[in-house]
Amino acid sequence: MSFHNKIDEWIQEAEARPESALTIVKLIAKRLRELTERNEALLAENIALENGTRVDEYRKRIAHLEYQLDLLKRRFNADEEDLRVDVAARTGETSTTTSLLVYNARGKFFRVELSDEISEIGQIQGGLSVEMEPPRFLAVPSNGEVLLLFSSGRVSTYAVSNLPRAEAGGAWTWEQASMPDEPRAGETLSCVAPIDALPLSDFFLQVSRRGYVKKTMTSMVQSILSNHYLGKGAMQKSDQPFDLTLTRKTDRFALVTYEGHLLGLDVDDLSYTVEGRIRLTATDYVVGSFLMRPDESLLCVTQAGKVVVREQKEIEISKSPLAKGQPLIPPSRLGQGVRFMGAVAARDADKIAVLDAEGRIRLHIAESMRGAGTVEAQGLVLSIGRIPSEGGRP
Amino acid sequence: MSLKVGIDFGTSNSGVAVYDGQHVRLLPVDPKNVLPEVIKTVLYITRDYRCYVGQEAVETYYRDNVNRQRRYVKQWAGEIDVYGADMHYVRDIYVYVDELQPGRLLQYLKTALRRDGYQGTKIFERFFSVGDLAKIYLAMLKRRAESVLGEPIQAVTLGRPVKFSESPELDLKAQETLRQAALEAGFKHVDFELEPIAAALDYEQTLTKPQNAIIFDFGGGTLDIAVMRLGDPRQREVYASGGVDIAGSDFDRTIIEKRMLPHFGDGQVKHHPEIAEMVHAVPDWMALPELGTPVNRNILEKAIQAKIAPVRLKALEGLIYNDLAFTFYNRVEAAKIALSDAGATIINMEDKDIALWELYTRHQFESDIQHYVADVEKVLLDTVARSGLEPGQIDAVVKTGGSSNIPLFTAMLARLFGQGKVKASNAFSSVVAGLAIKAGR
Repeated sequence: MSFHNKIDEWIQEAEARPESALTIVKLIAKRLRELTERNEALLAENIALENGTRVDEYRKRIAHLEYQLDLLKRRFNADEEDLRVDVAARTGETSTTTSLLVYNARGKFFRVELSDEISEIGQIQGGLSVEMEPPRFLAVPSNGEVLLLFSSGRVSTYAVSNLPRAEAGGAWTWEQASMPDEPRAGETLSCVAPIDALPLSDFFLQVSRRGYVKKTMTSMVQSILSNHYLGKGAMQKSDQPFDLTLTRKTDRFALVTYEGHLLGLDVDDLSYTVEGRIRLTATDYVVGSFLMRPDESLLCVTQAGKVVVREQKEIEISKSPLAKGQPLIPPSRLGQGVRFMGAVAARDADKIAVLDAEGRIRLHIAESMRGAGTVEAQGLVLSIGRIPSEGGRP
Repeated sequence: MSLKVGIDFGTSNSGVAVYDGQHVRLLPVDPKNVLPEVIKTVLYITRDYRCYVGQEAVETYYRDNVNRQRRYVKQWAGEIDVYGADMHYVRDIYVYVDELQPGRLLQYLKTALRRDGYQGTKIFERFFSVGDLAKIYLAMLKRRAESVLGEPIQAVTLGRPVKFSESPELDLKAQETLRQAALEAGFKHVDFELEPIAAALDYEQTLTKPQNAIIFDFGGGTLDIAVMRLGDPRQREVYASGGVDIAGSDFDRTIIEKRMLPHFGDGQVKHHPEIAEMVHAVPDWMALPELGTPVNRNILEKAIQAKIAPVRLKALEGLIYNDLAFTFYNRVEAAKIALSDAGATIINMEDKDIALWELYTRHQFESDIQHYVADVEKVLLDTVARSGLEPGQIDAVVKTGGSSNIPLFTAMLARLFGQGKVKASNAFSSVVAGLAIKAGR
């Protein structure tokens, strides 16, 4: 039926029942208004296409996807031809080793390739003290890529395989360490994060020493990397970034402080702006932050090597903007000077790297640490790090 | 004392009522509905065989289905024997099944009762006969009524159309299927009353002196007519009854065929025969959900890429693959209902890939269903003739059922019997009220 016929029928209705004429006019006027609005939206879209802003937007998206593809290729050791064949089929065949990165605030790195037999990683000679920022650990696939976050908010990426290998069990000095990206004047290296899981993540989640939290969408990674800037994620002048984690929308996140407070957070609830989530005393600061998975337990280690264990179900999710967190150290112990040097979420089969004041780095099975309730160390414990078991997430 | 209720198991809507000897109480069996005393005759069965009825069924269906993901898997459905001149072989038949389908929505259960050859349907792994579906619906209705009344219900008077079917065998079979379903639903005693007679019982409550009345029960599935002597229960008499399979769902179908199919290209574009077949299946509420196969999607996508009426075909694809069929039929029905009061209305549907807008006037509607008026008039006059009464001897024409509100039919009744004789009763409750009176006596 043609449109003219329809109009004739509407007129016939108006002639048969004059009161319908008003209804018909109202309905057509409403439709006209809707169509005008839609037309305006389409014209705006057309202008965006013509002046290139939409093209720019799509270019950025393509660049972002290309970057993610590049990351995946490196992750799977695949060139473009291989990817065309079958990326999925290769994942099972590729055997990658895990590297343990030991780095300090001055941007110096040691890389040790791990094997099952290794329990003594090595010994760092000199440059360690309780007052100084202790070195930190990161276990990553040897063919992976890491993101370096500096205290100024600057970021850079680096392929793990480009770091020189240090022999396990050796004695090292920081002078021997490599420096992939030298901190600029007034800058320190805050943390290193693996970014292989970037295409599967929704957010970068930053935590500052003073418990400020900020999330940034990973879809912005292209502009972050091209500008070499993610931001400090801190508000106070004396504060600085502590950790960076890739998360998904549905993840749960926790942080543990030096004075033994534990705070659980729902990633989806967190703000895109920098926001203080835990109320800390003047002497307190964050010593551990991690994603919480159902099969993992929380292990906190004191400076004396005592291990405090909490199961996932015991961790409460905080909804309030400035919470105190769950206390893990009793006040009496706190009064005696007990403090946490680090905290990780680990499965029983995972290994925990422990650095003591003598500079020794040893690996311990998480299950035995839980069982013994203590970790053997020469002097005080300075730092700990998690090494996921086979099949575990990094 | 055993409690008896009346249940109007309608094609589109149902209801439950109880009579205490003086007053009829309509039970609010669907608290989620705008009119809690009216419950949609809709059943939704989920993959784990949980059942919902009425508005809850509709809401659960929408929540689970609209714009959901689909994943088709090839499933063996059976085998066929192929015979040639000198050969015979057996071939396996496969069908594509959407393994993510969360549930099935079933409506027009009453129409299914009288459908020749329709035994039932397979819902996921289980086969449900028509009786099973009616049983589930009646059992849930019974449970809800019991929770309102706070005591168990033992017996029921069910309404039935004058003719489930023109064929006496099918008519008897439909009634017996319904009786068995009611017994299996937990009612100890089941009896039936013709729906127009039930409506008459309700109307009789308002009479002070005897009169000859025509009950014109025009609902979603059938038109039922009864010519009766009412007003004195001792002299109550049914002079004649009749009916025809014309009702609201036929008008909906006509609207879709004449007004909505052009939105999918019918009569506007020369479609590929397979696509034309899909378009012509749109008015059929049983066929439309079955169109959602990967093969059909492929055909549609190819035509869209070839730029053969892409907007219209995208709309058809959206209707089929976004599970919008139920919404679509509801919009058409709502427009039809709106035209009982207004001179013009809109049939509007906007969703992913689909934007339908049709200004529809009462004049258009009346010209679209004109051919039904002649059939209805013929059945009505035949029934009156069989009653032995002249139209002038009729004192009142009582109209009930949703379709009886269509002005064209009201005008027809006024023309045949006189304006003053046409009485309106409650379109959705007069039958169930009468059934409750019958049950309570």
